Amino acid sequence: MQGGTSVRLYGLEWPKESARISRVLDLLVAAILFLAVSGAFHLHYMLTAGDWDMWIDWKDRQWWVTLTPIMAITFPAALQYVFWTKFRLPIAATFAVVCLLFGQWINRYFGFHLWSYFPMSEVIPALLIPGALVLDVALLLTGNFLFTAMSGAFAFALLFYPANWFWLAPYRLPVEVMGQLVSVGDYISYAFTRTALPEYIRLIERGTLRTFGGHSAIIASFFSAFVSILMYLAWWHIGMLLARVVTTPNTLKNFMGLTDKDEPAETAQKAIDRTSLQGRFVATE
Amino acid sequence: MRTFCFRKSSCVRVILSAAAAIMQIGILTFGPDAALAHGERNQEPFLRMRTAHFYDVKWSANDIPVNGEIVVTGKFRLFPIWPVNLPLPEAAFLGNGTPGPVLARTESYINGVPAIQSTKLELNRDYEFKTVLKGRVPGHHHVHPMINVMGAGPLLGPGNWLSVTGNESDFKLPIKTLSGETIDNLETWGLGRVFFWHGLWVAIAIVWLVWWLRRPLLLPRLRALTEKGGDRSQLVTGIDRLFGASLLVATILIVFFGFQATDAAYPRTVPLQGSRATVEPLPEVPEQVKVVVNKSNYDVPGRSLRMNVTLTNNGSTSAQLGEFLTSNQRFINHEVSQAMATVDPNYPKELLPPNGLKVSDSRPLKPGETKTVDIEAADAAWETERLSSLINDPDNTLGGLLFFYEEHGKRTISNVSGPMVPVFTDPDNRTAENPKGGAG
Repeated sequence: MQGGTSVRLYGLEWPKESARISRVLDLLVAAILFLAVSGAFHLHYMLTAGDWDMWIDWKDRQWWVTLTPIMAITFPAALQYVFWTKFRLPIAATFAVVCLLFGQWINRYFGFHLWSYFPMSEVIPALLIPGALVLDVALLLTGNFLFTAMSGAFAFALLFYPANWFWLAPYRLPVEVMGQLVSVGDYISYAFTRTALPEYIRLIERGTLRTFGGHSAIIASFFSAFVSILMYLAWWHIGMLLARVVTTPNTLKNFMGLTDKDEPAETAQKAIDRTSLQGRFVATE
Repeated sequence: MRTFCFRKSSCVRVILSAAAAIMQIGILTFGPDAALAHGERNQEPFLRMRTAHFYDVKWSANDIPVNGEIVVTGKFRLFPIWPVNLPLPEAAFLGNGTPGPVLARTESYINGVPAIQSTKLELNRDYEFKTVLKGRVPGHHHVHPMINVMGAGPLLGPGNWLSVTGNESDFKLPIKTLSGETIDNLETWGLGRVFFWHGLWVAIAIVWLVWWLRRPLLLPRLRALTEKGGDRSQLVTGIDRLFGASLLVATILIVFFGFQATDAAYPRTVPLQGSRATVEPLPEVPEQVKVVVNKSNYDVPGRSLRMNVTLTNNGSTSAQLGEFLTSNQRFINHEVSQAMATVDPNYPKELLPPNGLKVSDSRPLKPGETKTVDIEAADAAWETERLSSLINDPDNTLGGLLFFYEEHGKRTISNVSGPMVPVFTDPDNRTAENPKGGAG
């Protein structure tokens, strides 16, 4: 920054007051975006991978490992498009999963623990931050969404299981209950009952990956990584579409007599063609 | 000093509104400690009348301290005239209907087989269950035994009000693992590790975010990217890339070595257990009394179910009709002492209609004898339990169990089922209070 009445930001001259207001705007937008993404991402995630993320006896080596990264890479990918192409900020994935984690802990502590009496040990959310950091850095270093998909999205899913094993392992210790072998996580959910979520409703590994040598988590992680690449590409483009500013013509003004007599009324189809559909895949940056 | 509160009254109003909102949230969060029942009356009558019939249910206590135990025992029969719109019980689970985990379930069995896993059950067969519950959250709780059936949902048994007293923080559920660790309380087990790892990664994420947020963020970066003269090289510098690369390496190393360390700390772990239990039903007891429903009516104004049935005693001893059980409502024939003797004083009063069961001929049915009798189960329970809404269901077939008693108290059970025809207007002006009709 320079002295006087203006400052130079990223090569451009800014009046000092404008720069100050812009900074205030930064903080306001960051706070609003934090809450908005927390709510929206949390809602999306609960609807698509909710039970696996909520319950300690759903976090298996097959479905949880497969589905969670695939469903969790959506918002990071869409936000990465906006953050990177509009602002050159490689923090979207980390920002999104921190928002998600915030929403989850609020939900688990107040909703599940205080309100519904579930012990916290039964409702711990998954950790996605390591994968998100790698996804962001991949975009920073490659500057290319395709390479980010192939490296970052792949790593996002691959890191998921080992990064969660830190805290999950104590819940997979074996215990004997009524003469049966179960894991600590199984017994926690058995003891602290969910009235409407019986045992059979769990979509968990039931031994179908035996043909892969029993390494269910590794197989599931690689499968998830491949699908995460595709999900990343799809959601990058969804972010692109949602970030477009689209206007639609007011066709009702014809009926209200507001059309300029010299200017023929534009049809809705023509206006849509003009404003949004044409060239949608070239206006990425 | 500038302030957002321009007038004192505005300030007071804002503060009071905020305080009221906080109080409301507080009351909703911490206030009601006595949760009510589970909406069992909202289940369709055909579901409650023709799926699982619970009987002989007993609760070992009605009041327990935190950490005290209640044992719930009983039997259930899966009704043979199972609703066609429900899947068969290929996978079922013995649950307990409680307002959240206010009691911890430490053991449960079906016919002596541990019920920690789901199992297949058979129609028209009886099962004995036992559930051991441990008091956890103080309060007055409505607790049901329950069978969850895949595709059919929760099928609730009779509910009883249980009181748990004491301090919630005293609750403990200890267990010892097969690898030697002693867990003092499953409620809090592993949370230190959870908080540490979640906290560590959140801290790293915040460092990464602050690294970028400390610089002018939105409009300056947007202008630099879109306007002539903007210096893009300042948006992402070499130091940024170096920091990012370092973070990448650190992340991978933490995950790798953290995983190794965790594996070393917990070398013996098992996956989630997802097998199915195998439970044989109780030995089949042939129906001693064959029941044929000739006609059944639900008298809407009289709140009364009337059945005309033909009973045939195929056994070698005489039998008396002592009880009609449907939807957890026990209509007891007060004229049969053996039936009255089965009523546990602890049994929920709301499940014992006071008028009981009226039978036109309660005399014992002799071996080989066939006779036709009228049965009437009249009580406001048909309305309060919302069973009368059977007349609005697309499947209005009723179902229940009839309990017959021999002279020495031995009991046999017969299924009873048939279409139910509602009577909206009663020409005899009969009601539950005035069953003989007329002017009263």
